[in-house]
Formats: sequence, structure tokens, C-alpha cells
Amino acid sequence: MIPDLFQIGPSLLFVAPLFAAIAAFVRPRAGAGIYLVSAGLITVASLALVLMVGTLGAWRMDLGGWVPPLGIGWQVDGLSVAMLLLTALVMGGAGVYRVAEGDAGHSPLFWPLWLFLWGGLNALFLSADLFNLYVTLELVSLAAVALIAMGGRTALVPAWRYFIATLLGSTVFLMGVALLYGQHGSLDMRLLQGALGPAAIELLASLLITLGLLLKGAVFPLHFWLPAAHGRAPSAVSAALSGVVVTAAFYLMVRLWFGPFSPMLTPALALALGAMGAMGILWGGVMALLQRRLKMLIAYSTVSQLGYVLLVFPLVASGILAAQAWHGAVVLILTHGFAKAALFLSAGVLIRSLGHDRIDRLKGPGQGPALAWLAFALGAVSLVGLPPSGGFMAKWWLLQSALAAGAWHWALVILAGSLLTAVYLFRVLGGPTAGAMTPSSDHSTRAMGFTALILALAAWIPGFVPIPLTGALADTWGMP
Amino acid sequence: MDALVPLFDALLGALLLWLAWQSIFAADLFRAVVSFMIFGLLMALAWVRLEAPDIALAEAAIGAGVTGALLLSALGRLPRERYAEAAQHILSHSYWLLFWAPVVLLAWFLWSLEAAPPSPPGLGEMVAIHQPAAGVDNPVTAVLLAFRALDTLLEIGVLLLGSLAIWSLGPSPWSTGPAMPSPALPAMARALFPAFVLVSVYLLWRGSHAPGGAFPAGAVMGAGGVLMLLAGARPWLTGGEQGPWRWLLTLGLGTMLVVASVTQFAGYVFFQYPSDWSGRLITLLELAAGLSIALLLFALYLGGQPPVRWRDRGWQ
Repeated sequence: MIPDLFQIGPSLLFVAPLFAAIAAFVRPRAGAGIYLVSAGLITVASLALVLMVGTLGAWRMDLGGWVPPLGIGWQVDGLSVAMLLLTALVMGGAGVYRVAEGDAGHSPLFWPLWLFLWGGLNALFLSADLFNLYVTLELVSLAAVALIAMGGRTALVPAWRYFIATLLGSTVFLMGVALLYGQHGSLDMRLLQGALGPAAIELLASLLITLGLLLKGAVFPLHFWLPAAHGRAPSAVSAALSGVVVTAAFYLMVRLWFGPFSPMLTPALALALGAMGAMGILWGGVMALLQRRLKMLIAYSTVSQLGYVLLVFPLVASGILAAQAWHGAVVLILTHGFAKAALFLSAGVLIRSLGHDRIDRLKGPGQGPALAWLAFALGAVSLVGLPPSGGFMAKWWLLQSALAAGAWHWALVILAGSLLTAVYLFRVLGGPTAGAMTPSSDHSTRAMGFTALILALAAWIPGFVPIPLTGALADTWGMP
Repeated sequence: MDALVPLFDALLGALLLWLAWQSIFAADLFRAVVSFMIFGLLMALAWVRLEAPDIALAEAAIGAGVTGALLLSALGRLPRERYAEAAQHILSHSYWLLFWAPVVLLAWFLWSLEAAPPSPPGLGEMVAIHQPAAGVDNPVTAVLLAFRALDTLLEIGVLLLGSLAIWSLGPSPWSTGPAMPSPALPAMARALFPAFVLVSVYLLWRGSHAPGGAFPAGAVMGAGGVLMLLAGARPWLTGGEQGPWRWLLTLGLGTMLVVASVTQFAGYVFFQYPSDWSGRLITLLELAAGLSIALLLFALYLGGQPPVRWRDRGWQ
């Protein structure tokens, strides 16, 4: 009998990284090879899923043949495949960077942990079950903590703080899930959609779940753990954390509040979420401006950029150009993931070739490997949101929606955030470019620079290729 | 007699709250840990009162037993003069804010709640209807290894990942372990160990038709290993690359992944068991998971990556 591709594809994304993690643990010397094979497989499968959803539409899977609410469901729709592809490219690219970096002084446990992180992320983006989501969040957080701690002695305290913060987030999330199960006897998002009403206990449950996610997503004012954790981790890990791991919390917020929680999204609540996002944009931007080290600057930039995603709640609630605001937020998640990974990886190359990441001593692109500077510049342009990059598309859509709704305050925040981004990133790039650009000295530095460059280019794709995102996202809920 | 039951429940609830308070706020960390262990035991009692014997077993074995042992061993390695300091340092003010925010939120909502309608039943009935199709007699096992097997797979993954995370932080401190606590312990541990093995095998077998199963069985077995370790036995789990231990640690997760994915090639959906094989496959998964859980809990207790060869500490 021919295996069903609609089953095999998603299950491969789940099974392959976990099998590879086991293999890399049992045979530590083959870790990098095992990683490369599985990364290739997962990336191909993710691309195939994007094409399948784009042409044939979304589908659901009942695991083990047990139909929810009894069993666990997976959903394969536009939003999840977009996140799966982002994960594949960022985890794949950052992993290749790590392979190119060489093994000297690295723990052989890096690869099993990395693959566990990847498997947990894939499971998270596939899952349509609230309790199952909690377990995947645990897997992702634990792997992330261990990977941060690999940054050496200075990374231990940030890893510990992140551990406490994320554990607290998980616990609060689980409390909300338990309340919902007690009320409705179901954990499936599709079944809960339409079943939830604006009752006090359900509002409490959704607020608890959101509080947990705000903590995991490092949303202002709960961002205290992020800069040190992302700044001190090894560069490949920073790229994965800022590009995908934090983003997963935003993905869940968008999925839940426009899905099952939508009856409770009152204008006041949307305003509160938007205000947190706006504060994050401004505060993160100002703090990034004040940093002395490049990786800390990039880490604060994550706090700032992901604030944009929360603007989607008041913009969609206003009802004018809602779909556009929503697509803008999703494209922002994607382009931010690529650009931020590219920035962290090129910072890693700079640290490797210059021996430091002090911004005042970087002296601009006149110094160091040209490839890394190119990747940095391309990623920076997309983060700022200059045309024709992908970041421009995202911010333009959000801005259009804000202007159409007459929400001048949000439009102002969007523009001010972009201006701040431009100032802090071009402060790094603003040195004398006419100096002697050195070509990369050795093979591994060049390969590392290339992975950064490819990720930076990925952030530009939405600006050139009209991705069929609108169609694919439309069938995520049939609304907004 | 019946009048005493509510009284007992009220007392149990009050004691739980008091012990929870003690384990968070006691200035002496040893006192806090012991309070936490008693909390676990009383919590198990509370689960029995709520007619959830499976959770009671797991709570007693993991909440009180394994976690308590882990906390005590961590405590034993903390410099004594830093006890009081640690109590203040571990949690800064911002964490307390985060801790109390949900509590206050909860209290406020409960206060503002009108008389709530009786909550609808859970999935108990549905599980009972479908349980025969899963091929096991114990509803909890049916949920854990059939209906929601993906959760169990991921939980075992979390356990394995936890061990790897601890290994990645550094070598195990046990090779320079603390001195023998009592001269009588080794003989006692040797006498008790077969009992631990017997109990865990029984729990594993029982899981197919009554409360029991892989998690409690693995926990009891792991606790037996920890007791042997405390009694000065040389741990046999090594960090060598070629040893069988790495296979055994990953056996539970690996078996579940294989079972979940191979049936797809015979025309079933992901994680579906062929109906004739369901019972046998679940027993196989329980066995593999139980073995791995026992080893993983033991590995957690080692507190770091075990060396390639242990130095013989002997039984003196």
C-alpha cells in the first residue's frame, strides 16, 4: 500500500529530528553528519508541506486515529507551514554555521540538544491540542536553556534566569489550560473555537495562558530575561532563539486570540496588548541604542521588533484592512526570524575574526570579513523596513492598516520604531566603508559568512516573490 | 463516621497549604525540602481522596520520593554558610511579582464569579467507551499509551532531554561524593534492592489492568538505584561512548518513535496501532518506557555527565 503523503509529511517533520537526536547521542562522534542528513530531510519535507498547503489547502490529522476530544489533533495549515519553513531555514542555517565553526572545544552534546529543540518546535507548530502544546513548550524551553548554558561561564546566570522565567510561564499556561479543560472537557483548538464565550472563568483561563506566553515571548515589561540570555549564548544558538524560539510564543498568541479566544478579544484587551507591543518597540529600541556590545544590541532589537506583532490585535480589532494587518504580522514574524538569525550569525563571524564585539571598536565595514558585513547590512535593511526588503512589506501592511483605520498613534509608533531601528543598526554600519575590506581568511569563516548571507537574503524574498501567503493563511480559520 | 470525612478533608487541605508555605518561605533550606517531601506525600493522600489512585502513586513516587532525593542531594552539595544567603538570592523581587500576579488575578476572578454552573463532565465516559478498542483494561493506560500517546512520547523526551541538559553542564560530582552517611546503610540497601526490583516489575505488569504502569514502576526502580548510590555502591552507568547505557537511556523514546511511524507504511495513520496488536504493542511500550524512565531518573540523580570509568569507592 502506498503511504499517504498527507500523513508521512508532517510525521516526518516530527520523527526525524527526534530520531536524529537519539542517534547523535548514541554516536556522538557522528553528530555533525547525523545533523546534516536530518536537516536536509526536514528542510525538503517543510518545503513540500508549504507547496501542498499552497496548492491543495489545509488539512488536519487525528493521531492514532483517535478523533479529538479523545485524541490529539495536528493541523497543517498556512500559518503552521509558514512557521515550519521558518524553523527549517533558521535551524538548518544556524546548524550549518555551527558545523562550519568546527568542533574544537564544543561539547558533543550540542547536536542532541539542538535536534531536540528542532523536534520540539516542529511538534509545537503542528499541534492543535492545548495540553500537547504545553508539553512541546517544555521540550523547547529545556533544550533552549541547556543550549544557552553552552555559552560558557558568563552564560550560566542568564540561562538560569531564563529557566526560571520560562518555567513560570509554562506553569501559568498550564493553569489556564486546566481551567479550559474543566469547563469544556476538550483540549482541541478547533473544538474550543466557537465553544468559548465571554464568561469570567474563560476570560481568566485565556488571560493566564496569555500571561504565560507573554513571559515566554519576552514582551515588555516581561522581557527582563531575554537580552542577557540571547546575548551570551553561542551565536548559532542566539540565532535560533531570537529567530524561532521566542517567536513561537507570538505564533501561539496570534493563533489563540484569532481562533478559540476570539469572542473574548474586546477592544480594551486589544488595546492593552497593543500598548505592551508599542512600549516594547520603543523601550527595546532605546536600550539597543545604548548597548556597547553588538550581540546585546541585536538581542534588545528582538524585544523591539517583536513588539510589532502585538500591534496586530488593536489593528485587527478596528476592523479596517484587518486581513492586511494580520498578514503584515505574519510576514513580520517570518522576515524578522530570517534577518535576526542573519544578524546574530554575522556577529558571530565578526567576533571570530576580530576577537571582540565592542561596537566602538568595530569601526564599520572597513574591517573584518566582507561577507559577514554584507549579510549584516542586508539583514539590517530588512529589519529597518526599507523597500524592497521583506521587512518593508510587513511594516508597510501594518502601517497601511493603521492609517486606514485612522489610528494615528499606532502609525506613529510604527514609524518611530523603524527610525530607532535605523539609528541603532546604522550606528554599527556607519564606519568608513572605504577601508581595506578583507576577504574571508579561511574556509570555515567563509562558509559561516555564507550561511548568514543566505538567511539575510531569505528575509528579502517576500519583497520580490509574491508568496501565496494570503490564500494559504485565509484557510487557517476562514477569518479574519 | 461520615461526619469525620469532611473534617479530615479540611485538615488535609489546611496542612497542604501550611506545608506549601513552609517549603517556600522556611529560612532553613533543609526544613523547606523536608516540608516539600511531606507535602508530596499528603498530596498523594489528597489524590486518593479524589479517587485518582494513579496520580496518587505517581505523586508519591515522583513528587515526594525522587524529587525529594534530588533536592536533598543538591542541598548536601551547597556550601553550608550559603544556606541562608541562597534562600534570599534565588528569587529576586521581580519573580515574586510574577508569582503573585496570577495568584491575585485568580483570587479576583474567583471573587467576582457568580454561582458557577456545574461543570460539564470530563472525558471519562468517552474513554470508557473507546477503551476496549485500545486493547487495555486500565483507562489511564489507554489514555497515556493510546489516546494521548504523543504526550507520553514527548514527556519521555523531556526526561531524556533533562538528563542530557544536566550532562551538558559538567561532570558528575559523585566521583568525589560525600562520605558514607551510616555504616549500616550498605547492607540494608543490598537487602532492599531486590524488593525495589520486584515492586517495579509488579507495578509495570499491573499497569495493563489497574493503577500502575511505566512511570511509577520506573520511579520505584530509579529510587532503588539512588538508594544503592547513597549506600556507596559504584554507579554502573558510565558516560563512555560505546557503552550500552546510551542505548538503554534512549530505549523508551526510540521504541515509541518506531512504533508511531512504522505502521504508516502498512496503511495506518501516524501513531495508529493495528487493532490485533494494540494490547501487545502497549505492553512493549510500557516495558521500554519503564526501563528508560528508571535509568533516566537515576541519571538525573548523578547530577552531571558520568565519567567513562568510575573510580572504585568500595563498600567500606
